[in-house]
Formats: sequence, structure tokens, C-alpha cells
Amino acid sequence: MASITYKGHEFEVDEDGFLLRFDDWNPDWMEYVKDSEGITDITPDHQKILDFLQDYYRKNGIAPMVRILSKNTGFKLKEVYELFPSGPGKGACKMSGLPKPTGCV
Amino acid sequence: MAFISSGYDPSSPMKNRITDIGPRKYSEFYPPFIAKNKGKWAYHEILEPGVLVHVGESGDKVYTVRCGTARLMSITLIREMCDIADKHCSGYLRFTTRSNVEFMVDSEDKLKALKSDLAARKFAGGSYKFPIGGTGAGITNIIHTQGWVHCHTPATDASGPVKAVMDEVFADFQQMRLPAPLRISLACCINMCGAVHCSDIGIVGIHRKPPMIDTDWVDQLCEIPLAVASCPTAAVRPTKIDRADGTKMNSIAIKNERCMYCGNCYTMCPALPISDKEGDGMAIMVGGKVSNRISMPKFSKVVVAYIPNEPPRWPSMTKVIKKIVEVYAANANKYERLGEWAERIGWERFFSLTGLKFTHHLIDDFRDPAYYTWRQSTQFKF
Repeated sequence: MASITYKGHEFEVDEDGFLLRFDDWNPDWMEYVKDSEGITDITPDHQKILDFLQDYYRKNGIAPMVRILSKNTGFKLKEVYELFPSGPGKGACKMSGLPKPTGCV
Repeated sequence: MAFISSGYDPSSPMKNRITDIGPRKYSEFYPPFIAKNKGKWAYHEILEPGVLVHVGESGDKVYTVRCGTARLMSITLIREMCDIADKHCSGYLRFTTRSNVEFMVDSEDKLKALKSDLAARKFAGGSYKFPIGGTGAGITNIIHTQGWVHCHTPATDASGPVKAVMDEVFADFQQMRLPAPLRISLACCINMCGAVHCSDIGIVGIHRKPPMIDTDWVDQLCEIPLAVASCPTAAVRPTKIDRADGTKMNSIAIKNERCMYCGNCYTMCPALPISDKEGDGMAIMVGGKVSNRISMPKFSKVVVAYIPNEPPRWPSMTKVIKKIVEVYAANANKYERLGEWAERIGWERFFSLTGLKFTHHLIDDFRDPAYYTWRQSTQFKF
């Protein structure tokens, strides 16, 4: 598996650029990922979604369903896509350090 | 090869982005005689295996030649189809819902030239590029999946077995001697992408061993609750295991005696690989249909619990398929689909006629509905 060094941190990632370990996450990871996800600046709106994903994952051990994400953050799916062009899975979950989405995606 | 940009700018990915435009409208690609007669067809006939004629209310005729394809194909072959379409059909062609290709012409002279052109084309290895057939009461193309070509959960291959089966039943692709159409489908795992669960004969890849548990990675790569909830028999549960350094880590435990090797947990969790060279193989199902003709649609039923994978030609599997086809062809009434025939004569007769071995694996044991598949009657043939 590849590892990435960014601002002195080393991140182990898979071929899709997801962190292999949630515990490796730190704020610099978001800085590193945002370019490849088509995001120029991490706004408070971005941060709200990323924080919610991390809280939910710590508490429940899974990523939230899209409807739960929308309901809790108040962002409609369309707005989530405006913030994260690759969408809540590939974009937001990757930035927040959650495991790669699985199943028939 | 050097990088050649399409004009996309990775530094501003949303610039000039076109989205939500959907597929092209089908009518853009209608041959003129189809556009003209759309919704005004009077009747059709099957002139010979693989050749249809539709007659419009205006008297217009359109001849269709249906050819088998391997579904998985190169751009080179698609270009060859385009050349054929340019030469005979003014550039038009279509694909069927079973991945056959259809060329359409509006006169018998063109039909004759088209047929002889198609029949003469072969690959260097000798296989027909465009075998004509697949109509009426025969065996048409096999709906199939990715297999070892592209998927990560298969228990068998798709393209390989499909080629082996179609070679075995090729004569029935090019003739119409069966009591009714016989649909064969293949899926390489029990996700059953495609039509295995509703085909006259279904081939489905199965495992026979529980998944391995990559304990180092389960908690990192997987959302453990998803893996637990993915199990139809509740064999998966979360657990903690001791590390060498004395700390605990989250993992998964599987009750092997409850596991029936469906592989759903691997779909959800990459740390639970299940495929196994000797363990994996295929099950054969028969008797499904989707049409409403005479009887209601039916699910196909498992009649062979396991046949080993035998690449590259799967001889045991093709032999079983051939046997089922032959016994069905010899015994069923006209218009009778395989499932209708088996239900009419009784499944015990199906097994005695085909010589397939009835094993305990075939008796349903999944939850309450299993009971309805047992026989609560004294009506039975010895």
C-alpha cells in the first residue's frame, strides 16, 4: 500500500486515496485531499459535514446514510454535492478519514 | 503513452462541466422504415432461425437478422458491426435485451446479401463472428456477468462457462426444435446479477467454505455493523481479540456452523475474503420464467447443488446442461416452458428422467418459507 507524506505527516492510503486507518486522520489530511476532490477552500459548511461524519462514525461504527447526513446537517443532497463535487461517499467520507464505502457502488 | 488532454482541466474540475443530459433519444437512431411504421405494425413472422419479418399496416416490410455476440467485445468487433451496418443497413443496427445484435433491411435482396455476408465471417480461431439465430423455440444468448474478468466477489467465471455452454448447445441457437424458448443465464456469485433466478436454466457460482478473517484490518477497512447486518443467517458478530502487545482490538467472529458461504459480508467488508479454488463451483437451477404466458412467472429452483469449477471448458457443467435440455426437448409439450413441464410431471419425475441426483442440499431450509416447499400431501409418484 502507498503512503503519502504531507506537511510532515505520513498517511497510509489505498489505491482510491482513502485512509487505511481512521486514527491516522488529522486536519492536514483534509488539506491534502481537497485538491484531488475539486475543493478550493474548506469552509465552515464543509467542516460541519466532516465533523458530523466523524462523530457519527465514532459513535456508531458506520458512515451515516445520506438521509441522516442531510437531516442532521441541514444540507440537501444537492448542497452536499455543491460542497463536495465527488459526493458524500467519495468526497466527504474520504476527507473525514472514514473507511472506503463498500457494496455494489 | 504521452498524456493527451480531452480539454478537461483538473485544476478547476467543475468548469464547463456537462451533467444530467441522460442517454441519447432512441428515435435518433431509428432506421427510416422503423421511424415511418412505428406503432403501426400489423404482424410478424419468423422466416427461418434468426430471421424475422415485420409487416406494417402500409405493407412495408422490415427483415431482421439476429446474430449471437459474446457480449464482452472489442471496439474492433464493434467497428466490424458498424461496417456491416454501413454496407447493408444504411448504418443502423440494434442490440437485444439478451445482447444479440440485430441488423435490419427492407428488402429480400438486401436480406440475402446480408445473411451470406454475416455467415461467412469468422475469427482466426474458427468461431463464427456473427452466427445467425436466437429466435423462436430455441436457445438464444446467455445472459451473464463479469466473472474473473472484472468482479471481486465471483465464485466462478462468466465468459468462459458461457462460451463452453453455447458451444455445447450451438445447434439449438440455430434451430427451433424445442417445445418453447429456453433461456439460460449465468451469474458468478449469488448476488445473481442478471436473470439466473428467473431463467429456464440458471448457472450460479457458489462458495463452500466460510470467509477468512483478516483480523489486522477488519476494524480499519470495514464498518463492522454493516458486516454484521449483511449476514442472512446472523452468523457474523462483533468481537474483541487480544493483540500480541496485550491490548484489545475490534474484530469479527463468524459461527461457521451458521455460515452458508453467501459472501455478502465480503461484499461489505474487504477483510473477509471468501473465494477458494477447490471450494468454489457452480449450482444449477431450472424452471424459472418471466413471461405471463399460460402460467405466472416462476423462480428457478436449485436442482444441482454443486459442480466444481473446471476451467477452461467446464465439461461436467456443460454435460448437465445438455442433459437437461435434451430430456426437456424429448418430454415437454408444445409451448411448455421447462418450469411448467417439471411442475406438471412432478419434480420427482424431473429428477428420475434427467438422472440428476437428489441431495439434501436441495431441500429448502431458509426460514419459515422453507416449510412451503416441502410436500404436505400424499400425492407422489414412486
